Amino acid sequence: MKVFLSLCALYLRSFYNLPGKRAPGTKPGAKELLKEAGLLLVALLAVANVGFIFVMLNLALYDALAPAGMQGMIILNTAVVVTALTLILGFLTALSTYFLSDMELQLLSMPIKPRALLGAKFVAVYASEAAFSLGLMAVTMVIFGIKEAPGPLFYLWGILASLLLPLPVLALSYLVQIPLLSLARFLRNKQAILVIGGILGVVLAVGFNLYFQSGMAHQADPEWLAKNFAGPDSLIARLGQVYPPAQYAWRAMTAPASASGAAAILAMAIACLAGPALVVALMSGMYAKSLIGFNESHLKKLDAGDARSFIGRRMRSSSAFLSMVKREIRLMNREPIYLLNGPLIIVLMPVIFAVMIIVQRDAFLSDPDMAGIMALLDSGRGALVAGLLGGFLGSGTSIACTSVSRDAKALPFIKSLPVRPADYLLAKLAHALIFGAAGSAVGVGCLAYLAKLGPADIAIGFLVAFGLSSLLNMGGLWLDTASPRLRWDSPMAALKQNPNSVIAILGSMGLMGLLGYLSFTLGLGRAEVALWMGLAPLALFGLLYAAFPRFAARRLAAMET
Amino acid sequence: MIELEGISKTYAKSAVKAVDGLSLKVDNGEIFGFLGPNGAGKTTTIKLLTGVLRADSGSAKVDGIDMAASPLEAKRRIGYVTDNPEIFARLKAAEYLNFVADVYGVDSATRQERIGKYAGLLGIKDVLNASIGSYSHGMKQKLLVTGSLIHDPENWILDEPMVGLDPKSAFSLKEIMRERAASGKLVFFSTHVMEVAEKLCDRLAIINKGKIVFTGTLAELKAREGSDESLESIFLELVDDGEEAAS
Ligand SMILES: Nc1ncnc2c1ncn2[C@@H]1O[C@H](COP(=O)(O)OP(=O)(O)OP(=O)(O)O)[C@@H](O)[C@H]1O
Ligand SMILES: [Mg+2]
Repeated sequence: MKVFLSLCALYLRSFYNLPGKRAPGTKPGAKELLKEAGLLLVALLAVANVGFIFVMLNLALYDALAPAGMQGMIILNTAVVVTALTLILGFLTALSTYFLSDMELQLLSMPIKPRALLGAKFVAVYASEAAFSLGLMAVTMVIFGIKEAPGPLFYLWGILASLLLPLPVLALSYLVQIPLLSLARFLRNKQAILVIGGILGVVLAVGFNLYFQSGMAHQADPEWLAKNFAGPDSLIARLGQVYPPAQYAWRAMTAPASASGAAAILAMAIACLAGPALVVALMSGMYAKSLIGFNESHLKKLDAGDARSFIGRRMRSSSAFLSMVKREIRLMNREPIYLLNGPLIIVLMPVIFAVMIIVQRDAFLSDPDMAGIMALLDSGRGALVAGLLGGFLGSGTSIACTSVSRDAKALPFIKSLPVRPADYLLAKLAHALIFGAAGSAVGVGCLAYLAKLGPADIAIGFLVAFGLSSLLNMGGLWLDTASPRLRWDSPMAALKQNPNSVIAILGSMGLMGLLGYLSFTLGLGRAEVALWMGLAPLALFGLLYAAFPRFAARRLAAMET
Repeated sequence: MIELEGISKTYAKSAVKAVDGLSLKVDNGEIFGFLGPNGAGKTTTIKLLTGVLRADSGSAKVDGIDMAASPLEAKRRIGYVTDNPEIFARLKAAEYLNFVADVYGVDSATRQERIGKYAGLLGIKDVLNASIGSYSHGMKQKLLVTGSLIHDPENWILDEPMVGLDPKSAFSLKEIMRERAASGKLVFFSTHVMEVAEKLCDRLAIINKGKIVFTGTLAELKAREGSDESLESIFLELVDDGEEAAS
């Protein structure tokens, strides 16, 4: 048990980058405290963002359902939403943390029971799931609580239910992944499986998002909402009826003070705890075995003659800057976790959208909203929308805003080389700009095809997309140079658990939204869009670019790794 | 030639001086050994010397060029082997070497010749097309050594280069060190292997708790301590004294 607990602490710490114990005699400086406060603020903003959408949706649902006396349905609705979201989130987290680093091989060599190993990892993944679930359920509890004034037991059951709901789905994730990755040992191709799993996750996430968005679009139409979203015949309600834990949560929370309510929670606890218990009890051995060989790769030896010709063929000089850019691209694209969360976004997003549009073609084209959007695009706003979309794709790759953190291990070596700090960091910017241009082109191209934009709109759209994404990429690089995450155990931490990438994505979404809003309310024409959203960001980019070298040299010199 | 003058470093996240007012001069044509217990400050000193860390006070000069004033000039004259070969696992060895050679501006013919020579001597020529991630610890070490010699630096600085090398490779490495010193170049390395230091080094320095406790030849060390014992026992005594003095 003690082993298990310290393993939990170890995993939690390396997952979520918790600070360890402070060395005696050192005090946190004011700057450090400020940084932590800033991070907290960003995290709160991120939560508030998702939370706001959820609050609005829930309020609308409540108003729609209350007249028919069916307001309890919003609880079932939330339970199903929590289950679905934690399934997606949990599956992805479980997969990406399946093999953290060689540290795990070291753990395997210690007298630790596989059960403790799998159990501790389960707990670490579960921690974020539980927080997420609790957050969503809290929204519903507050709305329901204010409107209906249920007793205190309602809240207790609600908290218990939200802690229990992520358990079975996470167990399911491991139930699928453990055999899958054990089998992959024979295929010796775990990288590919990680990529496939990741793509699957993104598809699920986007699908869910679309479903969610379709609810938001009808916020002003309670009847539609009631019918399609939470009414007894809606998909969610039907899912809830066949999924016992959601069903139990709903029963307990709609009749909190009754015996049947308590019984429902008890049944729920048993149902939800059984899954993880069984998975940990029965599959830990398989899990521990599947970790072995995770770091294997092929090594092919050349014979003497081949080696000589290989050196002659491959050892060729090129410019130092180009060589640095190539290195950046290789290091990013060859790490599956980086590839998936970075550059691949540019390709994945449009593909997923394309598939959805093709699948739901009729629904999309007949949808009155869609018609509205099409009319808008025809009326000359196409360039703007294309530009914003392309700009988002071009800056959504997380390349610039994690570039220093990702390179933390190599920094001592890099700093010993005769390279200007600015050049080293500008190679990172070049990397981001190349993919920024690609993302801009893909985004603008997709919209141009859909909305049949003319050449002028396409050109302006690309100008806007590239201008905005370049500015955002420069900002991201600035951010990660100012405060990189230099200490991590697994490469994933440098990207996914890097506050800078969260700030960058939120910043990008915020900027695109703001610009879209402004240009619509101000009624900007084509030329103005090109000027203010294409050329102005480029000019700003130029200013930042000019100021960057001095800042870069100072920051890089101060970094201690 | 390298010169450290009163150089000090305290890590931002630590309260103790890792290197404390350290001065050291190493001449061309010398093999210089840098000894000291774990955590004494060897790696920190080397990082100050190679421009990886910024000194709080004092100066580091390479061939008379100040590291803080003209870092690029100074760094061009250094070849550095880090103590941590666990970098760039996703690159292929050939890509790594090309990258280093490009950064130092070594032309194609010269890099081919030097890589052929050193990769051959160290026995990694047949795996240059493989990913560094598939290398063993010792193989990675040899790759770093090869990379550090690609521009034929005047000053070669190695942080514990013998760790993890098999006897044959360790012998080759020592041969390369001797060859370079004989041609008037400087070799500076840290080590825990007393025997290597004893047999290989022209001069050595012993560091303890961030301060130099001895610099000179082995004969000078023996004369000063008034003993004719092995380097190992003198080292143990010296470092022990340091501990008592500090407590
Ligand atoms: N990145 C760092 N941050 C904070 N303190 C550090 C860091 N690196 C080293 N130190 C501290 O600086 C001191 C000197 O460490 P250094 O790595 O230079 O020792 P060393 O002589 O190379 O030891 P070893 O023989 O183990 O390699 C130690 O007290 C160590 O704890
Ligand atoms: Mg060291």
